[in-house]
Amino acid sequence: MSASILVLDHVTKRFGDFTAVDGLSFAVPEGGVFGFLGGNGAGKTTSLRMTLDIIRPTSGRIEVMGGPPARENAAEIGFLPEERGLYRLMTVLDTIVYFARLKRMDRGAARKAAGELIERLGLADRARTPVGKLSKGLAQKVQLATALVNSPRLILLDEPFSGLDPVNQGVLEDLIREMASRGSTVVFSTHVMQHAERLCDRLVLLARGRKVFEGTQEAARASLPARLTLVGRADPSGLPGVASAFALGPVEGGWTRFDVALQPAANPGDLLEACTARSFPLRGFDIHHPGLHEVFIHLVGADQEIVG
Amino acid sequence: MKAILLVAARDFRQIVATRGFMVTVLIVPFAVAVSIFGSVVFGPKTTSAFSLVDASGRYGAQVERRLEMDYQREVLRSLSTYVDRWQPASVDPGAPWVRRGAWASDAEVARFAADGGARAALRRLQPRLPDDAPAFKPPTRDFVQIPPPDGAPVDKGPEAFGRAGASALQGDVSTPDGKRPFALAVYIPKDFGEPGAVVRIWTNGRSDGGLIDAIRAELTSALRQRALQASGLSPEEAARVQALSAPVQVSDQPAGGGSGRVLIRSLVPLALVYLLLITALTTGSMMLQSLIEERSNKLLESVLACIRPEALMYGKLLGLGGVGLCIVTVWTGCAFGAAFAAPGVVSDLLRASLTVLDDPWIVVALIFYFLSGYLVVSMLFLAIGSLSDSMQDAQSYLAPVLLLITLPIVFTIQATISSPDSMLPRVLSWVPLYTPFVMLARLGAGVPLPEMLGTGALLIAFLALELLLLGRLFRASLLGAGQPSRAEVFARLMFQSADR
Repeated sequence: MSASILVLDHVTKRFGDFTAVDGLSFAVPEGGVFGFLGGNGAGKTTSLRMTLDIIRPTSGRIEVMGGPPARENAAEIGFLPEERGLYRLMTVLDTIVYFARLKRMDRGAARKAAGELIERLGLADRARTPVGKLSKGLAQKVQLATALVNSPRLILLDEPFSGLDPVNQGVLEDLIREMASRGSTVVFSTHVMQHAERLCDRLVLLARGRKVFEGTQEAARASLPARLTLVGRADPSGLPGVASAFALGPVEGGWTRFDVALQPAANPGDLLEACTARSFPLRGFDIHHPGLHEVFIHLVGADQEIVG
Repeated sequence: MKAILLVAARDFRQIVATRGFMVTVLIVPFAVAVSIFGSVVFGPKTTSAFSLVDASGRYGAQVERRLEMDYQREVLRSLSTYVDRWQPASVDPGAPWVRRGAWASDAEVARFAADGGARAALRRLQPRLPDDAPAFKPPTRDFVQIPPPDGAPVDKGPEAFGRAGASALQGDVSTPDGKRPFALAVYIPKDFGEPGAVVRIWTNGRSDGGLIDAIRAELTSALRQRALQASGLSPEEAARVQALSAPVQVSDQPAGGGSGRVLIRSLVPLALVYLLLITALTTGSMMLQSLIEERSNKLLESVLACIRPEALMYGKLLGLGGVGLCIVTVWTGCAFGAAFAAPGVVSDLLRASLTVLDDPWIVVALIFYFLSGYLVVSMLFLAIGSLSDSMQDAQSYLAPVLLLITLPIVFTIQATISSPDSMLPRVLSWVPLYTPFVMLARLGAGVPLPEMLGTGALLIAFLALELLLLGRLFRASLLGAGQPSRAEVFARLMFQSADR
């Protein structure tokens, strides 16, 4: 694994009596797409704000690109906040240039980068249009452009898909993949698990300010006991690694369909091998790969607000 | 520093590009121009008409001569001011118009008029005047005599004359100078001078500009003349006694001096007080709107990811300072342009008032108090903006703050003009919120150095504290949009350590 571009080490943030982030630790390797998953109020936005030094942690340590969080990092960070807004009277071009300059780019480079980004995002014919006159979708593209104009090494996207229609969600997914392929590290928070499933290499799951999982999608799925549908002549409950088997109904020819839950560490491949070794008659063996949604429900509980 | 300048430039450009700013910048010069134009074109006429019926046949001409004498004295006084202002080369030191401020006797005025008055004097002066000297304009006559109104009987006694003349007094009448208000009708009875005989005067109820006093003085003089002659003096001796007048030479100082010195020296500082008040409140409102827009648009988080809250705050102060400077420059430019383009009393007064700027310390003090006053008010507006989610929310803070700022300042300025060293201005000079305004108003009259240094030091300390607290408030509240703005939250933000 490459060096970590972002590290949170036992970070806690309290607002009065309320603990928004509680002893959170995780590391984001450089490159790729990292998902920051959790329900509403899980502490995702607070964590990102601490990463950007907008707010300071109550305790713990944060390391961004090898140093502490600071505005000096802005030149290498692109940030898209959850609550979006732009200066309504500024033109698209001026808005992007303004944010580029706030990120320490000089005037010429800022205008060049803004022009290129405007082209890429299909905003060329609106470059001189005041932002207030754009549709919501176009304005969100402009907002995204303000985050990406400095070709950031680390891109932090806080709920980037909220408010976007399905078409623009797809466009944004492509853009995230493109940014990652160009070498940027993309960290995005979301409570929509489908986006995470399609984009994330690694992820961290939060619940009530605490980390409940960190790792790859495969590891996340593996944390859930495997389920499979088995078609056999006998009850598979006694096979090694099977936690439970529930008969779903008869199948033509004297066969029966079973819903089989494996024990936590059990591997479906081992079960198949055991069936063969024991001459356990099989006609069907379908493994169900759990989605992140199920993983999340399993790890966090159903009371957290998520979208599957 | 770069971030501060970027924020300042953005805020400056955004505000300057709005229609509201253009209206704000232009409305004051426009209003002043309209009021000047209106006062010139539609203002009250200074000349009043009057009618005088002298049934005795002995006093009317005498009153007319007196009024003409008074007018010629006014012309002579005005001419001497003109000569003093434009300093023609090698004038006759014995000429009556050379002695500015000296009281001209009736004999001198009569000689001036007999020699051709202002017209003859100007013929002599013209070749010696500088090229840029404007033409001399004699003062407008205060009174013009007209025949009795149509239908007013002059031979049927005062009652009949008064009844007929009363209706004419309600409006304007035709005079050689055009329509003028009919101010006065005078009836001198046939037996004036005898016991019980009364001069009757009817007025239109408005100011007569001293006409009644002039008529009464001349008629009194006539009665005294008769009395003196009756006591055995010859007419010449009686006239000589009547002409006795205490010789008075008023040693008036050049423009900018004299009894109105304090007021004239206070003109520039007082103008700055009002300019500061208007500009600070105007741009403060703009800053408030700008900040609330950023809060309600939810774009602060994007900005704060790039720059510190302090940089945003300083940038806003700087940007709005630029807007204020822009407004001040345009307004003062218009004022100076208008004053110098329209020579006369205004430009003379303005030139005199600018002598206060001869003292470099006064200039430094003016700049210091103006800038610090601007900062004091601007930071209050920024504080309101950082606590408010909407303009409606801001209004609840704004109304009391505006009252807190403006009312004491207006009262104090009035007190300062009438008596710069009275208790109210002296006390409020030590209240930092009002120090810039009150000290500016008092500068023309002169402020003791220890008081100036003391209030200045206190003001600087207050500004530093205000900046510190505002920075803390800014950090703590900017991302708190949507939270209720409560007094205890405000107090906590201000006085507890900032937990960003």
